[in-house]
Amino acid sequence: MRTVNSTQQYRLAEIRKVFARDQVALDRIVLTVCRGERVALIGPSGAGKTTLFRLLNCTLRPTSGKLWIDDEDVESLNGKDLRRTRSRIGSVYQQHNLVPRLRVIHNVLAGQLGRWATLQSLLSLFKPADVEIARQALQQVGMPEKLLERTDELSGGQQQRVAIARVLVQNPDVILADEPVSSVDPSLASTIVRLLIEISQNRHKTLIVSLHSVDLALAYFPRVIGIKEGRVSFDLETSKITEGMLEDLYSGNFRDHSMTEAISERVQSVAYPSVG
Amino acid sequence: MSTPPTRNSCETIPAHRGRVREGRTVKNLLVLAGVLMFLVWSYYGAEIHLSQLLSRDSFGQIVIYIKKLFPPDFSPAVLQEALKGTIETFAISFMGTLMAVVIALSIVFFASKNLIYSGLLYELEPRQGWKRAARRVPYLAAKSVLNILRTIPEMVWALIFVFLVGLGPFPGVLALGVHTGGVLGKLFGEVLEDVDAQPIESLQSTGASRLQILCYGILPQVLPQFISYSLYRWEVNIRVAAVLGLVGAGGLGQRIHIAISLFLENQLLTLILAIYILVTAVDYLSAYLRRKVM
Repeated sequence: MRTVNSTQQYRLAEIRKVFARDQVALDRIVLTVCRGERVALIGPSGAGKTTLFRLLNCTLRPTSGKLWIDDEDVESLNGKDLRRTRSRIGSVYQQHNLVPRLRVIHNVLAGQLGRWATLQSLLSLFKPADVEIARQALQQVGMPEKLLERTDELSGGQQQRVAIARVLVQNPDVILADEPVSSVDPSLASTIVRLLIEISQNRHKTLIVSLHSVDLALAYFPRVIGIKEGRVSFDLETSKITEGMLEDLYSGNFRDHSMTEAISERVQSVAYPSVG
Repeated sequence: MSTPPTRNSCETIPAHRGRVREGRTVKNLLVLAGVLMFLVWSYYGAEIHLSQLLSRDSFGQIVIYIKKLFPPDFSPAVLQEALKGTIETFAISFMGTLMAVVIALSIVFFASKNLIYSGLLYELEPRQGWKRAARRVPYLAAKSVLNILRTIPEMVWALIFVFLVGLGPFPGVLALGVHTGGVLGKLFGEVLEDVDAQPIESLQSTGASRLQILCYGILPQVLPQFISYSLYRWEVNIRVAAVLGLVGAGGLGQRIHIAISLFLENQLLTLILAIYILVTAVDYLSAYLRRKVM
């Protein structure tokens, strides 16, 4: 059961995730994230950030190790309990968060699915329930006029804001975002990151965001975790991070603009773990 | 076993794409020779005798028969009968297709692996092998039912149903419904197994149940294609419905069969014209509707 007095949102002990028997995506991850903390994850592509993200939002199970959310062992969760835990975690993916053919309002109200009964959610597709809630959420992300538009008619940045509106409706304890700005144009990127920060501050929510951009991570987050080759490379307050650590994190990667054969192969094998 | 994530990454380039295989030309020539031999064998196997068809004798027969068809019989009685046949054929194809959609929809969800026992929806399940095995049973059952329905041709189904329920349009509807149900089930199944997994995982992460994910994530993705396939099969079925009558399953076909048997060539031409008009009209209607939904 959920213990309210706990301050630990996430506790990870020796987490390991292996795909297709021998593709190690994460290895010996030990982490604690407290309630209301704001954390950025950085690291080269293929380092395991997305895998970690999927473990944290309970859509993937670790191969070994323990993961506690609110002092609840995730491994023991099934069916209803698992869905209840998931509903307390709001996720924003890199892209394709939304169902393209649905109207914006339904994608936003999908944040209610964890609370709604099946019949109610089905009926809402024909006559949207909670229109006001959806409108307010869209208002907060700055596009209330898109309520009834079809989602695939929006731009990438607008869709990302709809995904955030869905998280607002979901009203979870934790907000996770996996490279939420890597597919939107740079001028919009900091707007979206600021929006996430604002939401987590105003509503006292834990926020974990993985970012491609080191600058954004350093600028907006008090704590930054560097991940490389499936391991935690550093986990520090932002002020204590040195240029050398960053060099080390990205060494052999895009910092010198020449991906070595070995690294590009590793990226491939992580991107396509099922092949071969 | 947990299914690894499938993510499209454009930056990964398939290896060895441009490698030229040696001996390709020899292989191609062998395949060509094989195809040619198969063609010759089929020609004799099917007892095709072009010379017979083109001989003065049979060619004369064809001309005589065509002459007999003219003029088409447009007397009110014949026209009325043709109209009745047209409406009947239309109704058979429509009801048959509708029945097929119902059959396909009620079976297909059990026949898609990703919905019934593997794939995203079951990814986080504890590894209880027997549960998975138990779900294989409805899966295999649904698959085999669809296969049986589909592989037996409409005409054979029609013969069976004429035997079971008697002459008329009803056995035609049943035959079309059952066969097309199998076809649509297979097509729908392929669409279902092809859905984009990312929005589904995203819904899953909100705490949505499997049924909710079906309504919000899967159906919106597949319904337009379901409708499109159904309309396409309706186009096919209108032609089939016109022929089903030959075995006594109602519609224009039955009347054509009678016209041929009784040497009523002028009436036959009227009926053929009716088929032409009906099929063309349905083709256009269906193509128009399919453009609308996609």
